[in-house]
Amino acid sequence: MTETSQPIQSPLRDRHDALGAKFAEFGGWLMPLEYGGGGVVAEHTAVREAVGLFDVSHLGKIDVSGPGAADFVNDRLSNDLRRIAPGKAQYTLCCDDSGGVVDDLIAYLYGPDRVFLVPNAANNAEVAARLAAEAPADVAVTDEHRDHAVLALQGPHSARVLADLGVPADHEYMSFVTAECAGTSIVACRTGYTGEHGYELLVPADAAGAVWDALMTAGAPHGIRPAGLGARDTLRTEMGYPLHGHELSMEITPVQARAGWAVGWRKPHFWGRDALTEEKATGPRRRLWGLEATGRGIPRADMTVRSGDTVVGTTTSGTFSPTRKIGIALALIDTAAGVDEGTELSVDVRGRALPVKVVKPPFVTPSVK
Amino acid sequence: MPNRSIEQKGTWHVIPENLRYTAEHEWISEPRDGVVRVGITDYAQAALGDIVFVQLPEPGKVVTAGEVIGEVESTKSVSDIFAPLSGTVAARNETLDDTPDTINTSPYEEGWMLDIECEDLADVSGLLDAEAYAKLTE
Repeated sequence: MTETSQPIQSPLRDRHDALGAKFAEFGGWLMPLEYGGGGVVAEHTAVREAVGLFDVSHLGKIDVSGPGAADFVNDRLSNDLRRIAPGKAQYTLCCDDSGGVVDDLIAYLYGPDRVFLVPNAANNAEVAARLAAEAPADVAVTDEHRDHAVLALQGPHSARVLADLGVPADHEYMSFVTAECAGTSIVACRTGYTGEHGYELLVPADAAGAVWDALMTAGAPHGIRPAGLGARDTLRTEMGYPLHGHELSMEITPVQARAGWAVGWRKPHFWGRDALTEEKATGPRRRLWGLEATGRGIPRADMTVRSGDTVVGTTTSGTFSPTRKIGIALALIDTAAGVDEGTELSVDVRGRALPVKVVKPPFVTPSVK
Repeated sequence: MPNRSIEQKGTWHVIPENLRYTAEHEWISEPRDGVVRVGITDYAQAALGDIVFVQLPEPGKVVTAGEVIGEVESTKSVSDIFAPLSGTVAARNETLDDTPDTINTSPYEEGWMLDIECEDLADVSGLLDAEAYAKLTE
């Protein structure tokens, strides 16, 4: 992908400025990390207990349209689009022939002739290029990265906020509807990255401000808070959801990351099929586990994990869990180490051995459905 | 107590006139019976964000000015705590073990970190005053 010297601004930049946001760069986009008067913990708690609104406009957007577009995508991405009906979305992976993960993404199935993809910001151009390179002449792969804003409305009160705006909110998990909101046509999908009941809204970029304002106003009686990408990361880590570049990467396969559920193993074709099928049959050399700190301290990404004095793995993400009030981490642990739930290990936190216990994520019970 | 304030990105940070400061954003009280109280500034707590963990030395620990003696972690990052001057740790604020966010809500009072018995009280006058610290954070 090409690096731009100036980060790309969200269409909601002025809204974030007015809310006293601190910014950070994500995949070439300058996005809100947390808001003034809020902070990661308050924003995290609002999503778990009420409702939070995230600007995730940096997420990628790729339209794949033309005769047989769905079959074309299905022969390349890992999950099986035939498992879902039009109007539903699916978590899927774009793998390499080696089984490494170019990106994880959401595929919206509109029908046999149209699929809309939402990859990660940093990988949008790469995913689009790989698809375009193999697309039949009458299937168009269009990079629409800057054409749409994406707003994530997440939390137990999210349905009421949409209902108050007259936007349908009762559709089932991972399904999407087109609706009117603040005078514009949006797509509302029952999905998210927080573990809470919620929606991701695809909004035309030039209408993003109006939709943001409508949601913030309608959300006020429901305790809405703007939430930054700092809280999005603590929320997803509590769920054990993978973040590309941490739990999934060109070096970390879905078999290792326990994302095999997002692979259509019976499909005759998808990128990485042979390598992944073999790894699944022989067993991965390492596997993703959750670690809960049993002592005081916070594990972070890329720290060494030990069993006694023996190195058995590396953390891929780590944070303080605002819900559990303990340090938590995801880690790739060597299969040979023979760990299981309850195994006691330690994480090397800048030279200090932090005792941890092996668990199966999530760290907090999800309520997405 | 007169306070100086500085504005940073629309937020005002308090810099009490009666304290001393370091370039590492720590504050040091006037010595009382040879002991100074140490914490991090309002500016520092705001820059760190929600503080979720503090690691501090135990009383009796001998510390040397400039050495790393602890850590303060927010949800997003880790920062070192440096000894602002040489001496012996006389007390640490144990309430921070359970409520480290006190540093966010009260950086100059309940959120204090350490009491240090100074090796040489003359070291205190070598630290930054409020005016110099305010300039540093502009």
